[in-house]
Amino acid sequence: MSALLEISNLQAGIGDKAILKGLDLTIQAGEVHAIMGPNGSGKSTLSYVLSGKDGYDITGGSMQFDGQDLADLQAEERAIAGLFLAFQYPLEIPGVTNMTFLKTALNAVRRGRGEDEMDAASFLRLAREKSRALGMDDDMLKRQLNVGFSGGEKKRNEILQMAMLEPKLAILDETDSGLDIDALKIVAEGVNAQRSPERGMLVITHYQRLLDFIKPDVVHVMANGRIVRSGGPELALELEKSGYADYRGNEAAHA
Amino acid sequence: MLNALAHFERAKPHLSGDVEARAQALQQAELLGLPTRRVEAWHYTDLPRLLKRASSPSGALIGNDYSTLKPHYLVFENGQLSTDAAQLSAEFVAPEADLSADAMTLYNHALAENGVTLNFDKSPETIVVIETKGSETQHFMHRVKLGAGVKATVVDDHAALGYSNVIWHVELAADAQLTLVHIQQSGQYVGHCTANLAANAQFKQTTLLTGGDVARHATHVKLQQAGAKADLHSAILGRAVSHNDVTYTIEHQAADTHSHTTSHQALADAARGVFQGKVIVQRDAQRVDAQMQARAMMLSSEAEINAKPELEIYADDVACAHGTAIGEIDADALFFLRARGIDEASARQLLITGFVEQLLTHCDDKALADVLRRHIEQKISALTLTKLEADHAV
Repeated sequence: MSALLEISNLQAGIGDKAILKGLDLTIQAGEVHAIMGPNGSGKSTLSYVLSGKDGYDITGGSMQFDGQDLADLQAEERAIAGLFLAFQYPLEIPGVTNMTFLKTALNAVRRGRGEDEMDAASFLRLAREKSRALGMDDDMLKRQLNVGFSGGEKKRNEILQMAMLEPKLAILDETDSGLDIDALKIVAEGVNAQRSPERGMLVITHYQRLLDFIKPDVVHVMANGRIVRSGGPELALELEKSGYADYRGNEAAHA
Repeated sequence: MLNALAHFERAKPHLSGDVEARAQALQQAELLGLPTRRVEAWHYTDLPRLLKRASSPSGALIGNDYSTLKPHYLVFENGQLSTDAAQLSAEFVAPEADLSADAMTLYNHALAENGVTLNFDKSPETIVVIETKGSETQHFMHRVKLGAGVKATVVDDHAALGYSNVIWHVELAADAQLTLVHIQQSGQYVGHCTANLAANAQFKQTTLLTGGDVARHATHVKLQQAGAKADLHSAILGRAVSHNDVTYTIEHQAADTHSHTTSHQALADAARGVFQGKVIVQRDAQRVDAQMQARAMMLSSEAEINAKPELEIYADDVACAHGTAIGEIDADALFFLRARGIDEASARQLLITGFVEQLLTHCDDKALADVLRRHIEQKISALTLTKLEADHAV
């Protein structure tokens, strides 16, 4: 069986500045991978390049996702193909209600996947069911998208979007940032509920803490635009003890 | 309009009130002439030039459906009332010419041949929709007077194609609440609204401009007694070469008065937007709270915005703030929506809609907000087709 995501020798940057310098990563359906690494190692760039944000130049290598070359697809086409990015800093969109946003997104994805659009009543039932499962107040669906949401509410809302769009691969970019321990547990439970043999996950984090709640199958260390080490969950614990000093040295040597 | 004398001669047989005084008002108006950039309040709206140029098409007119509000309807077509206003006792009262007034007021005093006079002095709450249609020059003098504690909503739905000079006089007794909505989707509308508020009265004005060729909506509010509050909110969806001007003057004449002003202007094509907001706090008007926010979203490199907020404060214990923000569609917000599967054109449309619909966050009547929302969304879908196809063609 071919991999869900297969990245080989990926090189990308902004203008003259190289950020990803030959990154290799393979994720099979059903697996949860974690990428850890010091600030500036290129973790967020990887999430943006995978999800198709404008402004990055891909200078080499390839990204195969579920049999498609991601580089050929626009951001919205990648979402339709089943890629989902949970944002580190979800955007506030005044004037657009969470409900309108979710419905527009869900129906865009359904249309793109050749499914029928969902009518208003079925949508409402689904959105309520999924948001209640995440412990969200119905009121949060009526509010303007992320406007005035706390850090925890924004991240929970990201997980709600993931639950609605049912991606094949979810990339969680520093989902733990800005969360207290209670919010972190709720978000992690929401993510765990969506683990399935068909779905892959890529959890990007700076701290080991999140991985206490979302147990990864594979842990990678990223430094200086590459995966420099891979191992089992024990690698995260080791990093928690020793820190990133070794890998920073590596980065400095290349700089 | 440009030949006011001829217009006056034609209208003369139908004009009510003191026709001689009206003729004098006209003479005085002609002496002053239409306001040009040399008049400070008109610095960004050069009226003679705007009225002379070839007008831009308004786009398809939308018939707004107000049935959920269960309103009284008054329809003016080419200056004439085409429904029976008797049940509202809304008969027109001719203006008394004030020769010391500015040119636009003088023209109105000379030529106003119609308008509504709403005097409500008891509950229940009344909702009135005034629709203006037709393609000829029209002059209106509307008056709304609410007695103590009375609530009313008046909607000024403007879908006429020609030039209109419209004056609104609003008088609110203690604790009265008026919601006044202006929707202009066509024509050349030059409006001036004055509102005088007694203690704890509330004036909520919502102005939505979605396609007029020339739109000038000036409002002058006087908060005359403690507790009076003005909520002035406007949104503009400017397209083609339309000129859209909202101008507010808010006088806090008494202590403990409040005003809240917002403006959201989305400007496409070669549309021009003007926001002028002047807050004046008089010497003894302590504990005044005045907040003013103007935002513009530029959708084309040809669009233009002129924003001039002003504070004139003579009291020392006040909380007054103003802010202006001008930008384009936010690239990060666009990516966020696209990363959820929404194509770029739809994502833009959603962001523009959200920007303009911030107007509705101040509208507490759900049925009214729904009418405005439908209007905005229909106008935006028409706008997006013309605008974004052009963009993608490049």
